[in-house]
Amino acid sequence: MTAAAVRPPLVRPRDVVLGGVSVALSRHLGIPLPAVRTVFAATTMIGALFAVYAIWMIGNPLLALSGAAFALLYLWLWALVPRETATPDVPRTRVVPVAVVLLGAAAASAFLVLFTWGAPTPLPVGVVESAVLAVLSIAWTAAVDVRDPKRAASAPVVRTLGAALLILLGLLLVPSSFLAARPLVAVVAVVLVLLGIAALIVPPLVVRWTERSAERAALAREEQRSEIAAHLHDSVLQTLAIIQNRAGAGSEIARIARAQERELRDWLFAGTDPFAGDLATELRTMSRELELEHAVRIEVITVGDVGALESAALAGAAREALVNAARHAGGEVTVYAEATPDAVELFVRDRGAGFDTDAIPDGRLGIRESILGRMTRAGGTASVESSPDGTEVQLRLPRRATTASASAVSAASAAGPASAANLGAS
Amino acid sequence: MTRVLIVDDHSIFRTGLRADLGDAVDVVGEAGDVDAAVRAVDELRPEVVLLDVHLPGGAGGGGAEVVRRSAALLGEVRFLALSVSDSAEDVVGVIRAGARGYITKASSGADVAEAIRTVAAGDAVFSPRLAGFVLDAFGTAAGAPALATRDDELDRLSAREQEVMRLIARGYAYKEVASHLFISIKTVETHVSSVLRKLQLSSRHELTAWALERRLL
Repeated sequence: MTAAAVRPPLVRPRDVVLGGVSVALSRHLGIPLPAVRTVFAATTMIGALFAVYAIWMIGNPLLALSGAAFALLYLWLWALVPRETATPDVPRTRVVPVAVVLLGAAAASAFLVLFTWGAPTPLPVGVVESAVLAVLSIAWTAAVDVRDPKRAASAPVVRTLGAALLILLGLLLVPSSFLAARPLVAVVAVVLVLLGIAALIVPPLVVRWTERSAERAALAREEQRSEIAAHLHDSVLQTLAIIQNRAGAGSEIARIARAQERELRDWLFAGTDPFAGDLATELRTMSRELELEHAVRIEVITVGDVGALESAALAGAAREALVNAARHAGGEVTVYAEATPDAVELFVRDRGAGFDTDAIPDGRLGIRESILGRMTRAGGTASVESSPDGTEVQLRLPRRATTASASAVSAASAAGPASAANLGAS
Repeated sequence: MTRVLIVDDHSIFRTGLRADLGDAVDVVGEAGDVDAAVRAVDELRPEVVLLDVHLPGGAGGGGAEVVRRSAALLGEVRFLALSVSDSAEDVVGVIRAGARGYITKASSGADVAEAIRTVAAGDAVFSPRLAGFVLDAFGTAAGAPALATRDDELDRLSAREQEVMRLIARGYAYKEVASHLFISIKTVETHVSSVLRKLQLSSRHELTAWALERRLL
């Protein structure tokens, strides 16, 4: 291996079998994953056998700990190696149902009690082990499984079974504590029953409490947001208006203030305008961009549900008309879009010096192609009216114009009184 | 010369507006909040009050509250709403309280002076945006003018009124609306005033629901 080779970072994946430690190690060290897994599994199993042997045959519990060395190494790495950073589409989950395994072990330990009942030990062997395993299992369902999409459904079942096991163990101990008059057993019995009841009651309460406080937090955030919006509306927007007014329309400062005002307004009232459709949003965005580039103030007014008819042609033609107005006329420009049951109409009016529509100058060739041509191809109509008092581009797109050419023709002929300078689609 | 009261909580704006208006009108006073405005209207009896929609003080009702509290003087004093707000609730709220028009704060001094003259003459001032609101609120875009004659006359716009509103929304001045429709300016003003009256008085279901939705009433 060369010195230049960079090891992948030591991180645990989010979708794992048990803890993700083996995957992390194999990626980081470049060792095949099965090898790492085998080492951990084999050493843990040998260690477990050794521990059993050490306790029962040698009678030395300390020696048994050494058998758990590799299992402890696994736990240590699990605790210290960071997880991969969260991505919304990869939930934290694992293949091994840890809670079920723990509960199974608890049940097996409880089974031991049948054989050790009446032994000279203070408590029958298996009671404490079973109780500890059951508590661990319940804790695992409450802390880990509820957030795991694969286990959330089964978590309450496992928890209830664990609680039942605890209560059963406690009740089993009650008669023996009376018979043998052993206070320690009585205390353990009561504690086990209480633990079982708590395991049944507490987690749902915690869940509900968390939900409630999350709701409260969301409500508080919403309230705060509307308060901020109201405040900004009464202060900053007013100031921006004053700046525009004092700086004079068309000045650089007024333009910046206007753009800022629009941006703030969009943020404050995002999604609150019931009439805002795609076309309306698009027109507003165009206007904001043009206002930054040119000395122009564009007012966008939409009536009806103009978003219902999505048309790239209409938006494109409108953009061309707006660019023309901003570039050649400047000053105040009004955009009016209205949706009627049979068509969407759009008017762009400026206050420029106007031009002769019969003799379109070279610079205005964009009108013929980008506005008239585009609308005609989409089955709509367009006309331009110009006078020394200003120019108005009129666009009309019948609904379903793109699907039925026949309706487009009839709509073109019904496009209203043709102006003197109608350059319409004919 | 028209006697004007300027009501706005920003002193810079009041000063600026006063300077912009110059000799066109006679500014008789200024006020900065709801209570001061109501007092000033009562004492000074101006012909036109330039009224900011957003005002501190009073019960928190802003400009609309000033109009409502001065309702007894509405025949004598006319309110012209000034707003930075594009939002329907602000504009329509103050209009329904009794204001006779609405213009944006970005309007030039000449435009404001012209609007003051129009309002002082008893006519209504509609900005393109207000005209758009009216068309939306009366639901004209949704269909042809209602054929049902049982509709209250207040609850719908006549075909001519719709045409006028549409042209104003397209950015036409009253003069241009008049020449476009081959009618006199006076007729245009009559139509606009009539629309204003309907906007103020209509109990049209859609309008009421629309206003309720925006917590206007």
